[in-house]
Amino acid sequence: MKIEYIDTGSVVPACHDDGSGASGLALEARELRRDIVTTLHHVGGGHYGGSLSVIDLLLVLYRRCLRVDPAQPRHPLRDRLILSKGHAAVALYAMLRRMRYFDAPLAGYASFDSVLEGHPDMTRVPGVDFSSGSLGQGLSVGIGMALALRGVGPAVWVVLGDGECQEGQVWEAAMLAAACKLDNLHVVVDCNRFQEWGWAPTAAEPHPLPVPDMADKWRAFGWHVIQCAGHDYDGLLSAFQDARVPRGRPCVILAQTSKGKGVPLVEAAPWRFHCETVNSTEHAQIMEDLA
Amino acid sequence: MSMKLADHLGHALARHGEHDERIWVLDGDLADSDGALHFAQRHPGRFLMAGIAEQNMVSVAAGMADCGRRPWVFSFAAFLCYRAYDQIRVGLSQSRQPVVLAASHAGGLAARNGKTHAAPNDLALMLAMPGMQVWTPGDRDDVELATRTCLAGDGPAYIRMPRRPFDEHEHLPGQAAPLRWLRPRRSITLLSAGLSSHWALETAALLAQRGIEVGVLHCACLQPLEQLAVELQEVRELVVIEDHVRFGGLAALAAQLPLAAHLHAFGWPVDYAGKSGSDDELRAHYGLSAPTLADAVTAIHHQPSY
Repeated sequence: MKIEYIDTGSVVPACHDDGSGASGLALEARELRRDIVTTLHHVGGGHYGGSLSVIDLLLVLYRRCLRVDPAQPRHPLRDRLILSKGHAAVALYAMLRRMRYFDAPLAGYASFDSVLEGHPDMTRVPGVDFSSGSLGQGLSVGIGMALALRGVGPAVWVVLGDGECQEGQVWEAAMLAAACKLDNLHVVVDCNRFQEWGWAPTAAEPHPLPVPDMADKWRAFGWHVIQCAGHDYDGLLSAFQDARVPRGRPCVILAQTSKGKGVPLVEAAPWRFHCETVNSTEHAQIMEDLA
Repeated sequence: MSMKLADHLGHALARHGEHDERIWVLDGDLADSDGALHFAQRHPGRFLMAGIAEQNMVSVAAGMADCGRRPWVFSFAAFLCYRAYDQIRVGLSQSRQPVVLAASHAGGLAARNGKTHAAPNDLALMLAMPGMQVWTPGDRDDVELATRTCLAGDGPAYIRMPRRPFDEHEHLPGQAAPLRWLRPRRSITLLSAGLSSHWALETAALLAQRGIEVGVLHCACLQPLEQLAVELQEVRELVVIEDHVRFGGLAALAAQLPLAAHLHAFGWPVDYAGKSGSDDELRAHYGLSAPTLADAVTAIHHQPSY
């Protein structure tokens, strides 16, 4: 038995940069944020903070980096993206819908009749490259994909949360990826500095990070580390391009983000807004801030 | 030369690997104990020593499978079922990936290794996993059948293999099949799977010496069950003998079937966690030796109603 993509006759997907630059991305980011908060308010709440922190990462990846074709969501030679922090599903769905992977209304998110499961479900949602929701597994899946696709062309991107990096499996995977010298595997960590409950603050450390010394840890595991601001489109683009330089080892981008980015109410209360509902007055204020 | 069933599986996969480029084998650093070495030696480019990290290994296999590969994950049953259950749940079962878990040292007999290395309730876990096909081969021919069938399938599978080696010519009677009559159906029939089918045959032989003929039906695959119900329609006393706790395994499956037969279940006690000791010692202590089982079936035979 041969492997399917070796003999594929179809056109290899390309990234279709529309040339709108950072200002174009900023406009779309605002629309995506409106999609996210509208959806979450409509369905009675959800993961505001992490969806708003990760959306700029997804936007730059999908619009400027990933070689994908929404008309052929399972094309064997497409780049892959695994949203390992699956609780930001609504951000991924908003992005995929704007890419025209599907038409299902976001308003149906997580409801019985919708394909948009509460956490990303590859068996139901076109464009979801792997299911996630139970934290810590996406990087391992990405290793399997990167091994299968090594030397074939596609790149594999995995988006992790910084809280998620408390899972031991992440570091099992980090060790193996480096041992396998996988330079077609790229990780982006959404470092929004918060998690649902968090370590207890102390006088010496009033705001302990979910995982301290993140860059040192990845370096110690054999990874090339790139640090960048997580909401600066030019900076992100340059970091993602840098990640694709072959180095004979995997690369991680530590993107410094803000939990709830773009919505002052959420940014001011990151613990409240890990998973939360808002009342209609708050929602009106949120929409005004995103006008 | 005696070999474990997992060794036969490693050899079978190595042969299939000659013409099936999709096959990969992942192993959690037990290749010389769990059979993976035979593939590793023949196809080093498609063998991944994934480190002593079973959770990662299972998810890696899921990613490979989604890119068109057919990964087989080798380890001991205990370290797959218990250590990586959530990864199996999300990455294989919910995501419907054709990954095969090659689980050696399954069941309640872990010899000197003892309880941490035993898996006396693995079927309870794997049978409860949506979409998981569960194999319980009893000899080399069953292993070959499971290998061919899993490679032709499109979903996850679990192959449960015992620790003990089998002699080169140690075959169950008859042709390999998902369900195989080892002795013809009788009104008293023993139902068994994997290793316990050898126990059932030993028991049936002792009973025959006492003039009691019983049927023996061996399960090499535990799904689908419809055919099992058909095979057992005319059985009046169904005696389940299993290398599994008496909860969640073969007896539990049989209890689901629309059968008229009385069900008698012999397996490890529900609170059995595994223990160091020889196979014979453990079986004798827990009432699973052939003489003890034969006595139990003799008592069923002599029931007043019978």
